[in-house]
Amino acid sequence: MTTHRFDYGVSLYSYTGEFGTTLTLDDCIDDVADLGATGLEILGETHVQEYPEPPTAWVDAWFARLDRLGLTPTCFGAWVDTRRFGDRPMTVEEATNQLATDIRLAARLGFRFMRPKLGVVTSDLEPDPVWVPATERVLDLAAEKDVVICPEIHWPSVIKSKVVDDYLDFIGRTGTQHFGLLMDTGVFQNRRHARHGGPRSRLGEGRAAPPDVPQVPVADLADVLDHVVYIQAKFYEIEDRDGVLRDDYIPWADILDVLRRGGWHGYLSSEYEGDYGVGRAADQIRRQHALLRILDAN
Amino acid sequence: MTVLDVPMIQTRGFRNRDGGGGFELRLRLPYYRGVWTNLVEGASVTVDGEHFGADDIAWSIGDDQYTLAELTSSTDARWSVDVPATLHVPRAEPLAIGLHDVDVELRVRMSYIPEELQPTIWSEERRLVITR
Repeated sequence: MTTHRFDYGVSLYSYTGEFGTTLTLDDCIDDVADLGATGLEILGETHVQEYPEPPTAWVDAWFARLDRLGLTPTCFGAWVDTRRFGDRPMTVEEATNQLATDIRLAARLGFRFMRPKLGVVTSDLEPDPVWVPATERVLDLAAEKDVVICPEIHWPSVIKSKVVDDYLDFIGRTGTQHFGLLMDTGVFQNRRHARHGGPRSRLGEGRAAPPDVPQVPVADLADVLDHVVYIQAKFYEIEDRDGVLRDDYIPWADILDVLRRGGWHGYLSSEYEGDYGVGRAADQIRRQHALLRILDAN
Repeated sequence: MTVLDVPMIQTRGFRNRDGGGGFELRLRLPYYRGVWTNLVEGASVTVDGEHFGADDIAWSIGDDQYTLAELTSSTDARWSVDVPATLHVPRAEPLAIGLHDVDVELRVRMSYIPEELQPTIWSEERRLVITR
């Protein structure tokens, strides 16, 4: 076994398209352990039975399974759905309650990180301003439960942006140890990947075009690395090119180099978002872990 | 967990209602996460070219039944990825035994996608069978 600098995890989001149809929750988690990952990331609203109040038996089975497989819960994905109420915005109290619900459930299931996916108000994904007072109100709870709240920096957001500046200002102003950035490696994509298969859907009525996003230099990661608490290793396709693993979309060698130079330690949690197909996620995640571990050992 | 068909429109559950008044159609949530039902805007159904508007279709999820207005105004009801919804579609006559072309358009509002690109609309067509 080779030594490695980073911890490796998998987000169950990767099995989207198979979870609930061709794979059960047990199948997905068994697969994460089988491929050698130690970290397990889930989506609360997807994978927790009867979210947000799972039966006690389900919680007991959750911990028994983690023990048996040697897995550590990493990040609990959650949502602040600011458009739930259609004709009116979400109130501070409602947003606070949603965050508190997810922090409590994340802690109950053993998670250290909680990613709130925040509703947005602009085309470049500026979050609804309700996030500021709502997050302030749950900082004590996060400290008590030792859960780090980490909104994700996700394409089409870029690192040098008001979105990221506002998160960093929040950390500076509150002095909290329980808020940080989750970096989704999709922001560093060299080219867009068109996802094939799966349920056919379209966005809106087709009036708007997808945003034109500048390529984010991997060097920008170094500027915010001190506040990055978790990395979602988003990827689309790892190719077998004459027996060599290649990713033409995400520049892994450059990303790992920045992490290494910055002395960063933490989880790289795989999030496969490539083509749908039975068995595809399991194969692609293994390819990615092999590729990352080869780079990590060099 | 019930293991469901991969498509949104489920083979199972497509039937004329006992006692008449319409038919039922089962959907899996084709989204990667469960939702509070007030993010759902509704589903319209077309069978062999006959259109049924979202406002006329009642829903049941698990043991709970809703009109569309109840579904979209509830503050605590949920639609999970592993619990299919049944659409109750009113129709004067039962559907004939045999094959039917079923078209569904489902609309769900996502808060994290720019508003001008919302709602997200899933549309799917399947040929299903009525057995009785």
